[in-house]
Amino acid sequence: DYSEYPESYKENTNKEKLILAYVENYRRQYVHLFRDRKPLFLNPLNECGIEKFVCTTLRPTLLSYKELYHWQGCAEFTADYLTMKQLEPPQELPLCLLSPSTILKRQLGNCFDFSNILCSLLLGAGYDAYVVSGYATKEICLTDESRQICPLLQPKEEVKKEAAKPEPRKYSVKPPRDLRSKFIIKMEARKKKEEEEEEKKKQQEEEDKIAELEKPPPDPLYGLRIHAWVLVRGGKREVPEDFFIEPFTGRSYPPSSTSFLGIESVWNHTNYWANMQNCASGCKDMSFDLMDTEKWEFMLAGSDQSQIEIPDAEEELYDMDDDEKENEDEKHLDMPASWVLPILVTKNQYEMRCPQGKKTILYKKAKLEKYANYLLKDGLVTRLSVYTNNELTDLNKVQEWYENREDKLVTRIHQDGLITEDFVEGRPRSLQQHLYKANNPGPEAERTMTFFHKARVDGLCKREETPAEITEHFINRDDFLYLRHVLFGKRQKKVAPATAEGTPRPILKITEKFHRNVSRPASEDVAEQVFVLHEDKIQVTYHREDPNITASTRDFFKPPNAEEKGGNLQWANDMTSTFQVNPHGAPSKNLSIYENLLMLIQTEQKSIQLVRVSEEEVRDILMDRQKEELASELAISVYDTERNEKAKKHRKELERLAMEEKLRRQEMEMDYLAPFLAQIGNPDKINKSQAFKLKEDCLADLKQRLIDKANLIQLRFEKETSELHKRQQDYQQKQVAMTKEDEEQYFNYCSEAMFRIHILELRLNRHKQMAPHKYMQLEQKLRQDQRLSAIHSIFG
Amino acid sequence: EPSVIDDEMLKKAVEEQGPKEEAGKIAKQEGIDYCDVLSLRLDFRNILKVDNLWQFTKLTKLQMDNNIIEKIEGLDALVNLRWLDLSFNNIEMLEGLDKLTKLEDLTMYNNRITRLENMDSLPNLHVLSVGNNKIDQLDNLIYLRRFPNLRTLNLSGNPVCDDQGYKLFVVAYLSQLVYLDFRLIDEDTRQKAHSLYENKLGELMHNEKQAEVARQAEEDAEKELMKHKVSLEAYVEHLNTPLLFESMYKEDPEGMKLSLLPGLQDMLKDFQDKFVDVCLKTFEYGMKGYGKRCTELAEFNACIEAAKSENKRQAVKVIDEFDERKKKLFSELLVTSDAVDQEQKVSNQYLSKLFILLAMNEYHEDVNAIWDVLMGFEMQLVDQLEETIKDFERNMTDMTSQLVEYIQGLITQLRDLENAHNEKLLEMCMSVLEKVVKNEMDEELPDDLRMLFVDKDTIVNAIGASHDVHLIKIDNREDEIVTRSGSWLTGCLQDIQAGECARNRARVVEISSYIDHLRDEIDTLDLPEAIARS
Repeated sequence: DYSEYPESYKENTNKEKLILAYVENYRRQYVHLFRDRKPLFLNPLNECGIEKFVCTTLRPTLLSYKELYHWQGCAEFTADYLTMKQLEPPQELPLCLLSPSTILKRQLGNCFDFSNILCSLLLGAGYDAYVVSGYATKEICLTDESRQICPLLQPKEEVKKEAAKPEPRKYSVKPPRDLRSKFIIKMEARKKKEEEEEEKKKQQEEEDKIAELEKPPPDPLYGLRIHAWVLVRGGKREVPEDFFIEPFTGRSYPPSSTSFLGIESVWNHTNYWANMQNCASGCKDMSFDLMDTEKWEFMLAGSDQSQIEIPDAEEELYDMDDDEKENEDEKHLDMPASWVLPILVTKNQYEMRCPQGKKTILYKKAKLEKYANYLLKDGLVTRLSVYTNNELTDLNKVQEWYENREDKLVTRIHQDGLITEDFVEGRPRSLQQHLYKANNPGPEAERTMTFFHKARVDGLCKREETPAEITEHFINRDDFLYLRHVLFGKRQKKVAPATAEGTPRPILKITEKFHRNVSRPASEDVAEQVFVLHEDKIQVTYHREDPNITASTRDFFKPPNAEEKGGNLQWANDMTSTFQVNPHGAPSKNLSIYENLLMLIQTEQKSIQLVRVSEEEVRDILMDRQKEELASELAISVYDTERNEKAKKHRKELERLAMEEKLRRQEMEMDYLAPFLAQIGNPDKINKSQAFKLKEDCLADLKQRLIDKANLIQLRFEKETSELHKRQQDYQQKQVAMTKEDEEQYFNYCSEAMFRIHILELRLNRHKQMAPHKYMQLEQKLRQDQRLSAIHSIFG
Repeated sequence: EPSVIDDEMLKKAVEEQGPKEEAGKIAKQEGIDYCDVLSLRLDFRNILKVDNLWQFTKLTKLQMDNNIIEKIEGLDALVNLRWLDLSFNNIEMLEGLDKLTKLEDLTMYNNRITRLENMDSLPNLHVLSVGNNKIDQLDNLIYLRRFPNLRTLNLSGNPVCDDQGYKLFVVAYLSQLVYLDFRLIDEDTRQKAHSLYENKLGELMHNEKQAEVARQAEEDAEKELMKHKVSLEAYVEHLNTPLLFESMYKEDPEGMKLSLLPGLQDMLKDFQDKFVDVCLKTFEYGMKGYGKRCTELAEFNACIEAAKSENKRQAVKVIDEFDERKKKLFSELLVTSDAVDQEQKVSNQYLSKLFILLAMNEYHEDVNAIWDVLMGFEMQLVDQLEETIKDFERNMTDMTSQLVEYIQGLITQLRDLENAHNEKLLEMCMSVLEKVVKNEMDEELPDDLRMLFVDKDTIVNAIGASHDVHLIKIDNREDEIVTRSGSWLTGCLQDIQAGECARNRARVVEISSYIDHLRDEIDTLDLPEAIARS
């Protein structure tokens, strides 16, 4: 709507007019010098059809979102927030360039609009940024990323750490002599190398073939498609070297990229430069040193950085505009202030990001879907689907990112029938990762759970399960246990009615492994204990003493039901067999072996208990997960005043209470009994008759006041009516002799009087309606008044 | 009537207080070693004298209350004791606790003790009960300040408790206490006590601090001593002092006499300075050589250790792999042998038996192979170590001889200095002699010096004797250094050789016993008789 725009949109100030004249001059020179080049993008029309210089359309802005302090955040925001519209036709400059605020409102724009906003944000954040007008490939102009690998899938550059080679030491022992034939080894190595090379060659050929197939079809408009993007020069904000940002995708490119084919001009909010370099081989060899007058032709002399002497040739050209010559001798013209409205993005808009909060991007063999926070009920913010073919039909892997989930789920990956779920810290039972088969999510199936072991009392860090096994890994336990492995047998089929839980799986074997406990001698420090339950056997292996390569072992053969006998267990010498590493060491006494056995039997019972607890825990976690998945609640921060319904309610409630309090206080201040109490001298105690009298007086007074008020209104009403009546009669009599002015005055008076009368009438009616209510209210109050309680007392 | 602790009493007590039920039976069969007993109760036995407890080295708790013991004795062997109960006895003096350094809880309730003393070696004392005794000196309680861990103290029933300020005194001086006479010390009392005794406490603390400073000085002295010990190891002790020079003159009466010659003092001073300078050089070089030897030895040990652990890792890997195979084989064998028993058909039975026999054969071969591999590792290690040790020996010998040569060079310098000095002295003496003979001497010479200047022979002899003594001293020092370094080297190398030898033997024994164990295992496996026999 035309009227909505402020004045600066509809008109040019004198200074702007001056600069436009300047621009015109510049353009004329340009056309004169480069007859075969395309026109420059200098002064397009704005939304109101007014010519505006492009530099003044930029408005450096720093928005108050911390992501927008870095170029990555700015580029991503611009790419997400706006929908792209391609230039029509693609090889010609657009006729208009709208202000950033209009574009942000419409959320729709072409490459110039995109670059304009992005550059404004970057300049606001302190980058040395420029809008570039030039030529790019079809893929860039149409945002066709289907031949590019998704940035989320790009392999991260691994920082390879060279393992510090141990320095050769003086007395290192020589390695054992290699007795193999050197010739054979050499031949084998050669053969292997050849094979490898062949393999490599094949692979290379394959890759070349694929690349050939995937090559984009030739573009008839190659090199003619106009595009605008952003150049960020190095030097400011710790940017090491120049790079481009493509505004549609928000990706950065090095200037040597083959996607950008040429540059006509660049500008920022202070100046405008036309390119004088040859772009036949793209932007590869271009210099972005804008001070170099050989390569870049500036428009405004003396504006910030270009402090260079104006060449004489320039001087002559200036003569063409005589009237400006005077001004220009000493002072240089500086850029007028931007005409556009400030760039504003509300928090809500910022959080919604994409139009409707949704965006889908197609990459090579991948599809990326983005959603705003809180848009989807399950908290999904990003979904990346990876396909094995280019047609995106054969799904291979789905990766989903969640945010603000009550159950702390952050990512979920489906791949090859396996589901991996990652959680952040803060869940009950400290689950960190859960890996399971999609087709068998129930208990006693194959799964791996990783835990935050520091948050757990038992130090559990990982639990791996298969249908017949559980392996638990522990870290940093006081009893040095680091692994417990359980082997289950098949459930025996029983005729007995199955309970809700079902019978527990029979345990065949429990293996527990321990780290070395240095406070005990190695030969008494258990390294591994195996409870073979189905054979009634316990095998203990001790740690190796330092120089030894063998470990002492001791096997126990339990009599049946040993655990029930306790201290009454009968001892027999064939219940144990021992292998002692040191054959000369004193054999252990039977007593200590016996005590050891008793202790192991107890430990066995405890371990069985722990295994059952573990099974129970797995079942509980699965149950919890199922419930959470069904509920899929989102957590709302207490600081999020917009979304936090509870806080909102609470705030409203507080406001309401404050209001009530205020009302109550007002009422308190107006004590209806005060004057009557004063009449009888404010007695401390009021007897029945006094109270009765007070009440009567008070009510009578109110009645009187109400009547008085009614009378007053009535009186005024009558006065007003009679006055009007009089004037009307007067008018009718003198109507013929009246001047036009008087007549008008009379009509004015009439309408006003009618209005007043109408009001009075309304007030009177309202008073009539309200008076009994007020009376009743007072009576009610008096009845409840503590001071007049004497009325109701039986004793006067 | 009074009794003594004898074997019978101990045996009975140990058995009574030992394990119960089935464990007791086993213990009775086997007998209990006194050195395994952890706690012992000998109460209400009218014991007069503590004795015969020297075998109970692991004992942590000993109760001997309600006896008639008069003297604490015979507890020196019980170094692990943590609880000691001697209440209700007739002990008059605290003593004999010096060796019980781990003691935490000491109960001497109801005895006749008059003083707290002789407990300096009990830094861990936590609980002390000396109620119902005859302690009567308030100042004596300050003795308990030396126990930083003391939390509970019982003094009730002593004469000292009748003192008015007893409680506040104890609280003020023993701030580490939490319980006194069965009661928690509250904050109120603490503050009161503190304000009351503030001045005296300050003084006491000051004294204690001074004692601390003194101890620090002692430690410093010890450090100095350590340095001396190091120089001893480097064979150059005292060479950083003029001790050698002084010792040269100490056993040299002529030299002492001659030193009184006028004008000789300056020369002597000059000589001493030069001499000591060279000595110092020797000292520094010796110390440097010592440092070098140490690093060399450390490097050698580290490499040897690395080689051993690598070798161990390989061997352990082989053994672990074998264990896995063994377990699998054994379970298979057991299953098959069960099948043999149940099998009805003769032919199947025969097949199974054949399988078992083959498996056993295979196992034996495997064991042999393992033996070969382990022994191979050991032989390899022996070779490697031998070579390295030879290298080390060569380097060490070189290093030592280099050191000795250099030091010998320095000592030659000493000798040269001595010679030069001697010549100068001779010259000087000659001129003096001339003067004496001509009676032109300006100054009077002391009598015994004058005696030397009777004729030329005498003086030359005297100077010669002095020179000889000096040279012998220097030679002795040199010889000492050479022999000591030689003997250290041989000792060091011998130790290494012996250690390696012992290691090798132990490993071979270990491997053999392991192999024997493996062979035994299959024999004792629960296989049908028939197969085992065939």
